[in-house]
Amino acid sequence: MEEFIGDLWHRVVTRQAQTDYPDAQVELAVLTPQLAPFYRAMGGSPGKVLEASQPRAFNTQRRLVQRIAGTHRRFSVSWQDERSVRLPPSLALFPERDINEDLYFWLTALAAKQSYLQHWFIDNLRASYELLAEKPGLKKTYNRLVSAVINQRELLTGSSGADQEGEMAIRQALRDPGCIQSLPRTKVGLLPVPLWLYPPPMQIVSIDSEDNLDECESGMATVSQIYGSRKEANRIDDSKETDGLLIFQLESLFSWTEQVELDRCQDEDDEDNLASAVEDLDIISLSRQRRAGAAKVKFDLDLPSVHNDELPVGDGIKLPEWNHQKSQLVKDFCLLQPMLADDAVPVAIPEHLNRTACHLKNRFAKLHLQRQWQYRQPYGEELDLDAWLDNETSPVCSQEEQPCFKARTANARELSCLLLADLSMSTDSALNADQRVIDVIRDTLLLFAEALSGSGDQFAIYGFSSVKNKQVRYNLLKNFSETYSDQARGRIIAIKPGFYTRMGAAIRQSTEILKQQKSQQRLLLIVSDGKPNDIDHYEGRYGIEDTRHAILDAKRQGIQPFCVTIDDKGNDYLPYLFGSQGYALVNDVSRLPTLLPKLYLNLVGLNS
Amino acid sequence: MTISNYYLPQGREVEIFKGAAANGLPVMIKGPTGCGKTRFVEYMAERLGRKVYTIACHDDLTASDLVGRHLIGAEGTFWQDGPLTRAVREGGICYLDEVVEARKDTTVVLHPLSDHRRILPVERTGELLHAHPDFMLVISYNPGYQNLMKGLKPSTRQRFVGLSFNYPDADREVLIVCQESGAEKNVAQQLVALGNDLRRMKDHDLEEAASTRLLIYTALMINSGLTAKEACSVCLVEPLTDDLAMQQAIGRLIDVHF
Repeated sequence: MEEFIGDLWHRVVTRQAQTDYPDAQVELAVLTPQLAPFYRAMGGSPGKVLEASQPRAFNTQRRLVQRIAGTHRRFSVSWQDERSVRLPPSLALFPERDINEDLYFWLTALAAKQSYLQHWFIDNLRASYELLAEKPGLKKTYNRLVSAVINQRELLTGSSGADQEGEMAIRQALRDPGCIQSLPRTKVGLLPVPLWLYPPPMQIVSIDSEDNLDECESGMATVSQIYGSRKEANRIDDSKETDGLLIFQLESLFSWTEQVELDRCQDEDDEDNLASAVEDLDIISLSRQRRAGAAKVKFDLDLPSVHNDELPVGDGIKLPEWNHQKSQLVKDFCLLQPMLADDAVPVAIPEHLNRTACHLKNRFAKLHLQRQWQYRQPYGEELDLDAWLDNETSPVCSQEEQPCFKARTANARELSCLLLADLSMSTDSALNADQRVIDVIRDTLLLFAEALSGSGDQFAIYGFSSVKNKQVRYNLLKNFSETYSDQARGRIIAIKPGFYTRMGAAIRQSTEILKQQKSQQRLLLIVSDGKPNDIDHYEGRYGIEDTRHAILDAKRQGIQPFCVTIDDKGNDYLPYLFGSQGYALVNDVSRLPTLLPKLYLNLVGLNS
Repeated sequence: MTISNYYLPQGREVEIFKGAAANGLPVMIKGPTGCGKTRFVEYMAERLGRKVYTIACHDDLTASDLVGRHLIGAEGTFWQDGPLTRAVREGGICYLDEVVEARKDTTVVLHPLSDHRRILPVERTGELLHAHPDFMLVISYNPGYQNLMKGLKPSTRQRFVGLSFNYPDADREVLIVCQESGAEKNVAQQLVALGNDLRRMKDHDLEEAASTRLLIYTALMINSGLTAKEACSVCLVEPLTDDLAMQQAIGRLIDVHF
């Protein structure tokens, strides 16, 4: 009963305090397919992605009912950093749906306009002013948004003396972004302005911690992902040895956000508790002091022992890597180690794939050679009038019967295809009760190989994973010169999930291999399940830029790269890497094995 | 001499073309679609007082389509010169548009014409034609389209003086749009700004960028009474993409400009 009343009270009071319009709510996720191209067209950096922002606390003056209900304390504002543009996950500020939508587009345009923020007030005004001057069509939208925002602020804010001045300044600035140059100081923070971008959350980055991150990485067995938006994070100095001791009086502990020196590393609780704690916290503080609990295993150094590992071929190949911050190709930065599973036993095609494999093989065998019109044939489907006339009018007219038909016959196709499969750790994740991603990739490789062995096209299959730049493992599954046999099939069946995804190095090596092929058309087909990443600095923009550099380089060498991905977030970054026509996203992973051969046909222009 | 074709030079291409013409060198023009390659050739032909023989290349184009063939007439068969042979005989600019579309064995007939020999052997009539002093060979293609099945042989490429075209800078493009369509300057300015926004989406979201030609079409449609948004929708959105989300995104972009 108590709970019921409490629940009812909560609902009543939050409804009273509510100023949103849930009926007019617009979701960021729904609009992203439009917002992302819009952002790029407005001049935003194509490497950045759009993401949902997390609510942050604002110290504003609240009405009594809002204080009772505990609402209007945290607001999702928009901000951006090097990597992404963060917009509120949903907007329901205004009663009309299209104004809420307009607000998303306005924020995106503003984010594209100002790539950095020095002074929140002045920079927002300047960017708004410039944007309105450049794009006259925005004026109408902007005016509509401003009047909606001002109406709402009139409802939300009271009219008490000192803050009124600041509030008026904001309203004036909104109405005419060209005129005001400074904001009067106010005691209480002002209500956030939904039309403006905010600086990224405070981050204290300089840490002097003695523990070296390289030495101990997280050894969590399962990674539970918190969906939706990212949490603010900051790093703190945790070098003092006062783990978990509250050094202030308990009375002064006001909220969750107070820093509690809780050592999560040695917390052996369930994952669920951790996840719910993360949900509750505004800011998560990280320290670099790691003394992992005894039960956890150090992970990244968990390379197979020398005896169990595949045979390394040679001493490794040094490859460059692109550093986008310095805009230079760092020479000999990666060590790529070709690997050969020499102990893999030759096997026949697995039972469950047998039928599909046969079908594909037959289909590809028919496409063995491309059909083209051949002229001057002794027999054929149509008369070759040109040839006949030519013969009739020739100065030395032959009395013998001349070939004057044209026929459609097969013509040799010159094509080499290298299939590069991502064998990173993420492929170990389960797809359903009895399949992992790696199993699907294995089937895909097998069917692809069967199909191509039927067509007679030159092909090779390699896999890759990496542990930092020192070991990029490049597994040879089938090379160009060997025929596809049980031996190669055994190597494909023996693939297992590896480590991380240093895609750039693997692409560079594949480019080298393809370059040695004499064929006219050279295709580099990449099968992947996620973004390029590694445990060193190779993540986010760095990894993307390096991969892009490797791909552009391959294109310059006359190689046609194409990516097939099962990452449902692939649309965010793949167009930047491969171009809009250079990749395919497979939603239903279980269909990948049958889709890939079809895709291949499309790529080489045989499906017409 | 008045020149009916309007062309606004972007750089020194007019001088380069004149130089190549004076020396009897063939010219290769690269550039995206609708950036003014054909217009430039027509303009130069007019300036040099030469006739243009344009051949739009396709993948079934044979050497006899270029050189000529025997035809059947009332009096029996007779020889008909192809456009290339006519240009070689009479002097003029032979312009092969989108040359990469043609099969590679076809383009090989150009080889003896495009080096110092400047000859065209016509096998079927047994003639060996020496090119007229005013004969000039010009080819063009769009490097963006070039996939690996189609491309120019290096031995063909090496015979040409190369000119690389791109969309003109904003100020020039405004002038061009005004001149070609008769649109008002502020409309042209907004169109060009929109075009440049759309060009940022190339490779990432769009296969091809909005060409100057499309911008001119849009301006023409605005002149004939369509609202700016309608004109942009039919002349820019529809030709550029079939993807619904992309069409909506471009629609938003148009709203920002008009």
